[in-house]
Amino acid sequence: MLDSPPPTAVRRRLRQGRDRLATALITAGGIGVIAALLAIGLFLAVEVVPLFWPSGESSAIDAEALWGGGEAAVEETSRHRWAPTATLAPDETPRISLAPLAWGTLEAAAWALVIAVPLALGAAAHSSLFMSRRLRSRLKPTLELMEALPGVVVGFVAGLVLAPWVERHLAEVAACLLLLVPGLLLAGGLRSRLPARWRETLPLGWAGLWLVPWLVLVLAASVWLAPWLEAVAFDGDLRRFLELRLGLDIAVRNALIVGAAMGFAVMPSIYALAEDALSGVPPSLAEGAQALGATRWQTLWRVVLPAASPGIFAAVMIGAGRAVGETMIVLMASGNAALMTLHPLDGLRSLAATIAIELPEAGPGSVHYQLLLLAALALFVFTFLVNTLAELVRTRLRRRYRRLGGGS
Amino acid sequence: MSVVPFRRLIPWLLLIAFGVAMTQAQADERDRGDTIVGTLGTMGSDTMAGLMLRWGEALARRHPGIRLQLQASGSASAPPALVAGTTRLGPMSRPMRDDERRAFVERHGYPPRELTVARDALVVVVHRHNPLAGLGRRELDAVFSDTRRCGAPAAIRDWQALGLDWPEGRIRLHGRNAASGTQALFRRVALCGGLFRPVINEHPGSAAVVAAVAEDPRAIGYAGLNHLTPGVRALAHRDNDGTLHAPDPEAVRRGEYGLSRDLYLYLNLPPGETLPAPERAFLDLVLSPAGQAIVEELGFVALPEVLRRRQRRALALDDGG
Repeated sequence: MLDSPPPTAVRRRLRQGRDRLATALITAGGIGVIAALLAIGLFLAVEVVPLFWPSGESSAIDAEALWGGGEAAVEETSRHRWAPTATLAPDETPRISLAPLAWGTLEAAAWALVIAVPLALGAAAHSSLFMSRRLRSRLKPTLELMEALPGVVVGFVAGLVLAPWVERHLAEVAACLLLLVPGLLLAGGLRSRLPARWRETLPLGWAGLWLVPWLVLVLAASVWLAPWLEAVAFDGDLRRFLELRLGLDIAVRNALIVGAAMGFAVMPSIYALAEDALSGVPPSLAEGAQALGATRWQTLWRVVLPAASPGIFAAVMIGAGRAVGETMIVLMASGNAALMTLHPLDGLRSLAATIAIELPEAGPGSVHYQLLLLAALALFVFTFLVNTLAELVRTRLRRRYRRLGGGS
Repeated sequence: MSVVPFRRLIPWLLLIAFGVAMTQAQADERDRGDTIVGTLGTMGSDTMAGLMLRWGEALARRHPGIRLQLQASGSASAPPALVAGTTRLGPMSRPMRDDERRAFVERHGYPPRELTVARDALVVVVHRHNPLAGLGRRELDAVFSDTRRCGAPAAIRDWQALGLDWPEGRIRLHGRNAASGTQALFRRVALCGGLFRPVINEHPGSAAVVAAVAEDPRAIGYAGLNHLTPGVRALAHRDNDGTLHAPDPEAVRRGEYGLSRDLYLYLNLPPGETLPAPERAFLDLVLSPAGQAIVEELGFVALPEVLRRRQRRALALDDGG
C-alpha cells in the first residue's frame, strides 16, 4: 500500500469479513480432515458388512473362520491359513484366517522396533548430551536425510541384495553380530586406560568419528575369523549345522531381514523426535545435577531421560505406527509366506503387503475383495488405537514431568 | 582458426532432426488416406498387458486414427467392466467363470463373445545349475501343496526325496499371489485344486519369482513362459505315460505340455450385429500372421493355424491373412 487511507467503517467491515472467512476456511479444513478420516472408516465398515450379514444366497462368514483356524485337513501343517481364492469341496471350511497376516504385521513391527529403538535412542542420547556441537550439526541432517529414502528402495535393497547376500555369507554375518558389541566395549575400556595425553586426541565428543575406523577393523577381523569359527564350532558349514543339528530351516527372506530393513527405515524418525525431546530438556537441570555431584551417566539416566520421556515415548510410538503400516519394505523383503511362527528366521506376511499385492486383482464385490477391505479396516483400527494410546500416555507423562521443567 | 564447440551445435541438430521427423510423419499419414477413427478401451489381464500394448502400437501404425486405451489391473477386472459397458474388449488370462458369464447375460441379454488370441504356458523353474530333468503332476503336487489331492503317496520336502545329491536340504518354494490367474491355473492343473503350503513365498509378479529362483540353488517356482531368463532352467513336464515334454513352443501349441493355457479376448457383441470399425481393425490385426508374430516375439505361443482361420471366419473378417 502506497498511501493508506484512514480506516473507514467500510474497510473495517471488509477486514472483519476477511478474518471471518479465514476462520471459516480453517475450521472447514479441520472438520474436513476429521470427516475424511471418519468417512474412510465408514467406507471400510460398510463395504465389509456383506461378509457378516449377506443379502443373497451366499453364506455369512463366521468370526471363528477369520481369526481362529479352520479344521486342518489331514496333511496340512497349520490350522491358520490364508488361501482366500482356493476352490473348496462343499463340506470344507474356507481358509480365510486373518490371524497369520495380523501376526506377521505385528512380528515385523516388533523386530523393526527391537532393532531401531536401542540404536535410535542411544544415538539420540549420545548426540544430545555427549557429542560435540559441530559433529552434531553435521550428523543430524544426514540422519534426517535417511528418512527421505523411499520404502520401495529400502525394500528392494533388502529383498534382492541383502537377503541373498546374508544367506550366502551366514557365518560372516553371525561373526560380525557376535563381535560388534564386545568390540565396542573393548574400545571404551581401552580408551579409559590410555594416558591422558592420548585421551585428549580422542575426545568423547568426537567418538562418532574415531570409532568408525575401529568398527571397520572389528568387522574385518570378524570376516577374517568367520571361516575358522565355522570350522571349529559348526562342522565347517553353519547353515548345514543349523539345519541338521538344530532343525532350523532358514528362509532367505525372513523376519530378521524385514526387521533390519524396516528398523533402518524407522530409525531416523525415532532418532529425530527423541533427539528433539532430549535437547529440549533445560540445560539447567543437567547442570544442577552435575553440580550436586552426579556423574554424566547418572544425570542422563535419572534426570534427563525422565524429563524427556513423553517425547521419547511419542518417538517410539510414531516409529511403531510407521512400522505397522509400512508396505513396500515388508512386501519386498519378507517373501510373503503367511506363517504363524515365533521363529525370526522364518518368513512372514503382513496385512498391508497382502492388500497391496492382492487388491488390484481381486474382483470388486467378491468375497476376496471384502476380506481384503476387512484387513484394511483391521489395520486402520489398529493404527488408530496405537496413536490414540500414544497421545493419551504422552499427555499424562507430560503432565507428570511438567514440574521438572521438561517435556516436549 | 576457431572451432564451433560441438555442444553448441546439439540444440540445432536436434531441431533439424525433429523437423525432418515431423514432415516424414505427416507424409506417412497423408499417404495412407485412412478413414477409421476412434478410441478402443480395454480393461483386463496384466499378463496380457505387454501383448495388448504391442498390438495397439502395430494398430496405430496401420490406422493412425485409432487409439488404444489400456488398463491392465488383472483378469478379474475385465468381466465387471464388460458388464457395466465401460469397455467392449476384455483381455483375460483365464476363461470367464460361470458367475461372471451369468452377470453379463443378465445385463445384456446375450453371452459375451470369446476369442482365443494366444497360448501361454506355465513353467516350473529351478536354478540354472540344478540337474533335475522334469516333474510330473503328482510330484509337483507333493512338492508344492500340503493337501496332495493328485494322489502322491508322501510329501516331498527336500531335494534328496527327488533323487538328487545336489542341491542339499529343503526345497524352497516360490510362486505368485492368491489373486493372480497364474496361481489359479497352477493350483488347478498341478495341485488338483488343493492348497499351497503356507511356507511358499508369494511374489507380486512372475519376473520376481524368476529372479528369486535364479539366486538360490535350492529354490523352485512357477512363472509365465515369457518370463524365463538365463538364470533359471525350465523343467520338463512328465505326462501320465512317463514321457517328458519340454515347454517349447511346438509342444505348447500341440497341447502336449501339460501346464499350458489359452489367453482370451472377450467381446461385447450383440448377435447379428457387425463389429464397429475400430474393433474390427484391431481383431483383424490380432488374428493376422503379423499379430501372431507379435505373440511369438513376446515369448507367448502363437495359435495353431486352423484355430486362427476358424476364428477369422466366425468374425467374418476378410481372409487377407
